[in-house]
Amino acid sequence: MSDTVQTGKPLLEVRDLCVAYGAIEAVRSVSFTVQAGQIVSLIGSNGAGKTTTLRTISGLLRPRSGQILFEGRPIHTQPAHAILGMGVAHCPEGRRLFPKMTVEENLLLGAYTRKDEGIAEDVERVYDLFPVLGERRGNKAGLFSGGEQQMLAIGRAMMSRPRLLMLDEPSMGLSPIMTQRIFDTIRDLQRLGTTVLLVEQNALAALAQSDYAHVVDLGRTTIEGTGHDLLADQRVRDAYLGEN
Amino acid sequence: MSEVSTAGRTGLFRPLSTAGAVATVLGALLPWATFVFNEGPYPAKATLQFFDAPFALSGFRLHLMLFGLAALVVGFTRLPGRGRVLRALGWGVLAVSAVNTVFLISNGGGFGAVSASDGAFAFGCYVGLAGGALLVADNWHASAEPLPRWKFSLPLWAAWLVLLVSFGAVLLLVAATLTAGGLGGAADPYAGPVFLSFLGAAGGLLGGLHGTGLLSWIGELSEKHRLFSVLVLLLCALGLPLTSAGNEYWMTVAANIGVYAATAIGLNIVVGLAGLLDLGYVAFMGIGAFVAANLSGAAASALGIHVPFLLAAVIAAVIAGIFGVIVGSPTLRVRGDYLAIVTLAFGEIFRRAAQNNIGGLTGGANAIPNIPQVELFGLEFNNPVTIGGLQLPGGVLYYFLIVLLVALTMVAFGNLKNSRIGRAWIAIREDEDVARAMGIRTGKAKILAFLTGATLAGLAGAVFAHKTATVSYESFQFLESVTLLAAVILGGMGTIPGAVLGAALLFVLPEKLREFSDYRLLLFGLALVLIMRFRPQGLVPDRHRRAELVAEDVELPAAPKEATA
Ligand SMILES: Nc1ncnc2c1ncn2[C@@H]1O[C@H](COP(=O)(O)OP(=O)(O)OP(=O)(O)O)[C@@H](O)[C@H]1O
Ligand SMILES: [Mg+2]
Repeated sequence: MSDTVQTGKPLLEVRDLCVAYGAIEAVRSVSFTVQAGQIVSLIGSNGAGKTTTLRTISGLLRPRSGQILFEGRPIHTQPAHAILGMGVAHCPEGRRLFPKMTVEENLLLGAYTRKDEGIAEDVERVYDLFPVLGERRGNKAGLFSGGEQQMLAIGRAMMSRPRLLMLDEPSMGLSPIMTQRIFDTIRDLQRLGTTVLLVEQNALAALAQSDYAHVVDLGRTTIEGTGHDLLADQRVRDAYLGEN
Repeated sequence: MSEVSTAGRTGLFRPLSTAGAVATVLGALLPWATFVFNEGPYPAKATLQFFDAPFALSGFRLHLMLFGLAALVVGFTRLPGRGRVLRALGWGVLAVSAVNTVFLISNGGGFGAVSASDGAFAFGCYVGLAGGALLVADNWHASAEPLPRWKFSLPLWAAWLVLLVSFGAVLLLVAATLTAGGLGGAADPYAGPVFLSFLGAAGGLLGGLHGTGLLSWIGELSEKHRLFSVLVLLLCALGLPLTSAGNEYWMTVAANIGVYAATAIGLNIVVGLAGLLDLGYVAFMGIGAFVAANLSGAAASALGIHVPFLLAAVIAAVIAGIFGVIVGSPTLRVRGDYLAIVTLAFGEIFRRAAQNNIGGLTGGANAIPNIPQVELFGLEFNNPVTIGGLQLPGGVLYYFLIVLLVALTMVAFGNLKNSRIGRAWIAIREDEDVARAMGIRTGKAKILAFLTGATLAGLAGAVFAHKTATVSYESFQFLESVTLLAAVILGGMGTIPGAVLGAALLFVLPEKLREFSDYRLLLFGLALVLIMRFRPQGLVPDRHRRAELVAEDVELPAAPKEATA
């Protein structure tokens, strides 16, 4: 793991974000940055506001206040399709595949905003990355196992050729071995040049893989540091790593 | 898979099924009614005594005889899918027997008509019902048998020949179904029950053929030779005037079905593909019809101008489309149930407005009558035509026009479904939230669905106006919207043959069941409830939905579970 220092213009910057569902303030004050090329994770307990933060970045929710800058440009006023077009892909919590559609149709929907010629090539690239999907490309997505569905969800998100890939709890419901495989894949994607913003309950696995991490607590970002540092941080160990 | 239920049933001899088949044959030969009805014998040779004239059977008793013999033969063979075939035949026998029994009892003034009176005995119906019940019960678990798959491939000419013969058979079946029971009225007093009984027999026949795997095979074949199939299908549709349905009356009925089929396909885009529940859809057809009526030069039209038909149809479609956008816009804000209410309200507003002759455009209670017939290429569409010595009945040109309309909407639907926007619609239907995350502009896509659906309905409305020559608000009631929706759901959401079949059934039934008009809606509702209970995917299910059901039967390659990976 590389202990990268945070320098240069960040790819994504979230400033003092506040998001509410009616009267419920799910996110009160979230601020963090994501440097290009890194894996950055947000960890925190249930209901901390992690999913809400991701949904706001991808334009599915509108913030009450605060700013979201992608490559220095504000995107929190842009519609979802425009944000995706800029290179921000969102792999939602719980995978949310189109279960009645085939693997291939799911992937093609991931490339919906693209109009270039390279789509078929990218479909093949996903099959190279996840051979299980390639072998069963004509099968309905709903018939796959949890781990395979997560692969497809990641593949689908990658089909938009994102520069920032946001993954919401990719290890949810997976065995330790499959979790490891998914994290290995995330590493591979990073190596190929994709920046990753990762939301995880599984703090131990997430921190071990992350270049940088933020703790979200009751709608606020609190502690931050490299994955390495947070793993060693006593407060994090007490609250999120199941130690007393 | 349920081996227990099929164990012991795989032997060659199936006593219960054989008994059912024999009972069916006996039922066909036994007398069915104890006396001759006032309106004429029902069924034909109703009181024929046992074995009086076994070769003189006709009508439903002939159907029963054939079904019984078929079941008898199939019961002694090792035909793959045998259980499915026997069960389908059983359902056919049950349906035919039940329809006729109920009719004999209700029209004959009680059970005396189907038991004993004045020294005459008639027990055919009980034996027939028992035969059907035995066949169904003995093969109740037939779904556990895999549907046979025909794998052999054919040379091109043979494949084309098979398709030609199949579609020709479909044409004959359609013609026979359409004309079953005759015109009704005094000439054919029993049109309703004869038609229903025929429907039961046709259903049993198709079910039986499906059970052998034949229909799936033909389906695959036609998918492989898509263009050829489409052409042959179009030819067959155009050939209907040459069959027993080739007179003015049936041409009119067929044309009406076609108009509603085209409209149903349009609705299928909105409901079946995009998943937007539209309860006021017939209003768009109404808008198209009134626009066309006002441009037709009819005396009652407000504009008093006569625009050529093709131009009028295009204008009607465009205006209906514009209304589609106006009604579709609120869908940006409302979801699900609320959308249904918005469209319901729109349908009601349209009907009220038309009833009150809004802007003098709809004629109110007087309607807009005497719309001139279509004249294209020097042909007057009401007249019979002679092509190369072939006498075709009046109304046949409208029929051709509407076949073209249906073909056009089919092509539009098929292309849209497999296009980018089609995929977006389906994604919105499945999971709107994720569709947005995929970058689909859901608002735009939904409005586009409304626009497309409304345009097609407007086009159908324009043809409808000229075809019926009178446009009245009464043709565009809530019930019509519901029936269209039912046609889409009944036939199978998101499929073309489904919408056509659904529309054909739902708009031909009222025509055929006029004598039951009091119970029509009840029967309708009952049929819908039954279909939704036993075949929720519709009569012709979508590929995706079908895949779901197949998945239960088929062994999938063992999926590596993450725990063992
Ligand atoms: N659609 C909604 N309407 C109202 N409240 C919501 C909605 N979605 C989330 N919330 C609330 O917002 C808060 C934050 O939810 P969020 O889903 O962002 O948490 P999270 O950090 O992703 O939790 P988890 O780790 O359990 O997924 C919670 O209190 C939740 O109940
Ligand atoms: Mg969450």
